[in-house]
Amino acid sequence: MTYVEWLRVRNILRVTAIILGIFIAIALGLRLYFNKEVTQDTAFINHVQMQPGSTVAHATLPDGTTRTTIHDPKDNTTVVIDNHGAYGRHIEITEPYKHADTHDGHVMMGSISVNQARRGDMRVTTIDTDSRTPFIFYMIAADVVGLLIATLLAAPFARESDGHLEYALTKPASRELLGIRTIGVDVAGIVLAEALTVAAVIICQAMFEMPQFDFRGVSINAILMGIAAPCAWYALIAAATASMKRGYGAVVGFAWPVALALGGLTLWSGYWTGSLLGAAIHNALWVINHASPLTYMSFNVTENHATGELIAPANFGVRLTIELALFVIYSALAVFQWKRVEA
Amino acid sequence: MSTITIQHLRKTYGAYTAVDDLTLTIPEGCVFGLLGPNGAGKSTTFKCMLGLAFPTAGTVTYDGTALEPSTFERIAYVPEKSVLYDWMTVAEHVEMQRRAFKKFNVARANELLAQFNIDTRKKARALSKGMKTATMVALAIAREADTLILDEPTSGLDPINQRHVLNLIINESARGASIVFSSHQIGQVERAAERIAVIDRGRLVLEGAVDDLKADRKIVEGIFPDESYALDGIANDPRIARVDRSGRIVRLLTTDGAADFVHKVEAMGASGVRIVDLNLEDIFLYAVSPNDATADVVEGVTA
Repeated sequence: MTYVEWLRVRNILRVTAIILGIFIAIALGLRLYFNKEVTQDTAFINHVQMQPGSTVAHATLPDGTTRTTIHDPKDNTTVVIDNHGAYGRHIEITEPYKHADTHDGHVMMGSISVNQARRGDMRVTTIDTDSRTPFIFYMIAADVVGLLIATLLAAPFARESDGHLEYALTKPASRELLGIRTIGVDVAGIVLAEALTVAAVIICQAMFEMPQFDFRGVSINAILMGIAAPCAWYALIAAATASMKRGYGAVVGFAWPVALALGGLTLWSGYWTGSLLGAAIHNALWVINHASPLTYMSFNVTENHATGELIAPANFGVRLTIELALFVIYSALAVFQWKRVEA
Repeated sequence: MSTITIQHLRKTYGAYTAVDDLTLTIPEGCVFGLLGPNGAGKSTTFKCMLGLAFPTAGTVTYDGTALEPSTFERIAYVPEKSVLYDWMTVAEHVEMQRRAFKKFNVARANELLAQFNIDTRKKARALSKGMKTATMVALAIAREADTLILDEPTSGLDPINQRHVLNLIINESARGASIVFSSHQIGQVERAAERIAVIDRGRLVLEGAVDDLKADRKIVEGIFPDESYALDGIANDPRIARVDRSGRIVRLLTTDGAADFVHKVEAMGASGVRIVDLNLEDIFLYAVSPNDATADVVEGVTA
């Protein structure tokens, strides 16, 4: 019944795969180009190792980890490198605390985690490469692609109305069922595109380090939001175009600029909102903006420094619920209009 | 097979009435031709029959039951214009139909497409208008449906393929399928249809079995000695559908009892009185042409 929609999804996934393949090829090129740098220890460690009087000791720990200990007595600096092979390195640098402006802190970017702490007169910097990567980082990439694919797949009903209703609506299934199944196929397409993106990111990452995933904290929510938001966005455009026979391309094309402009105008509460008219317009835009699924997308997370866990904002559950509700409401609106379409 | 009953069908688009109080019964297993000039409402009637347009009033039933999704397992439709997906190959269209309809016969579809010399690897956008029509016809025939609704199924086809489509229609009829089709090629309708209906400006103006219509409708033509002849007692006869005068020549379109009128016209002084048979095209034109345009038609008949 929804074979045509499957073909549309297949074609879009094919293009997505090609584009992701190009990214993978670029990553492969970079990996080969920077091969030396990737396999070397950091420049800092090299520097320590080269200091006159430095001692270097190698040992193999019971779990197979190769430990390299470098001590530079001149600077009273000790570097301990635990090399876990494909599972990355744990580097601990102990050096005198001498910079007053240096604060304790934790920085995490993808699989690299850097922690600085003061221990008496010493500062200990711990670098973990190839640590577990919170899945939210993968989902951010997937979400961008998911939203683009959702936009491309949106307007499925208008595409049928544009000269194909005689086939679309003479199948032995009710219009409601056809509509719901069409949306289901497109949602599957969005999810598959996101899965492809995650796979591509992992492949790119694997060229540089062994990917390890951290599903704690916000990650599960991020996966849900990463699927819900593009689907709600898709449903919004589907509902906006379901009764159109022509011109739906303009709706699809302007959806992003309009949504972004709305979001911007809602945030911008400068002098123009001071007047009664300005405030009324601002409020109206605020209301309209809250009908957009993009409004509820947020990856604004905080980090638990003790555990390294990324924590979702308090209203994340509400936002996710709204996204899901918008998806259901807009989908229902789209199917309702589809029921009333005439050839 | 289905008996299709259309009762008091009316479809308006704003102030425009496309179909007006149309009542028709299309018997089971019949080849039914729906004729009418451009804009008469044929396509709208088909769309209402298929639920593609919602009637403003009236009903369409299949064996007494209103159209429901499962009915489409039994109905195949070829619309007037191509509804093929330009970006899909012909083979993908075949697959689309196979997935949608239980009885779709892939082998038959491929056989028919081969007969029309259509390369199934081609995308629809690469097909000519006639090839698109032929593809849609092949896909519809391969459905092996009980009822075929064909809106201009020979549109854009060359004469060879027109004949081929006509033969397919006749074969489908022989298989027992009910066929409703429209065409501007009235000769084709005459060849294939058992019954016809003529609609004009949305209204039914003529309906019946082709043979009956041709048997009943005759032109009685005679030549009077001068132009000052009177047709008292004839012109108002209910069996006279139309009277055309052209100088000394009178032509009466009779719906019954043409022989009686031969005698009556002769008795009035006309000479050379004869009965002229009508073909379906003449009958159609009489049905839809305004009175002042019929002289040309009659000239055509008598020529």
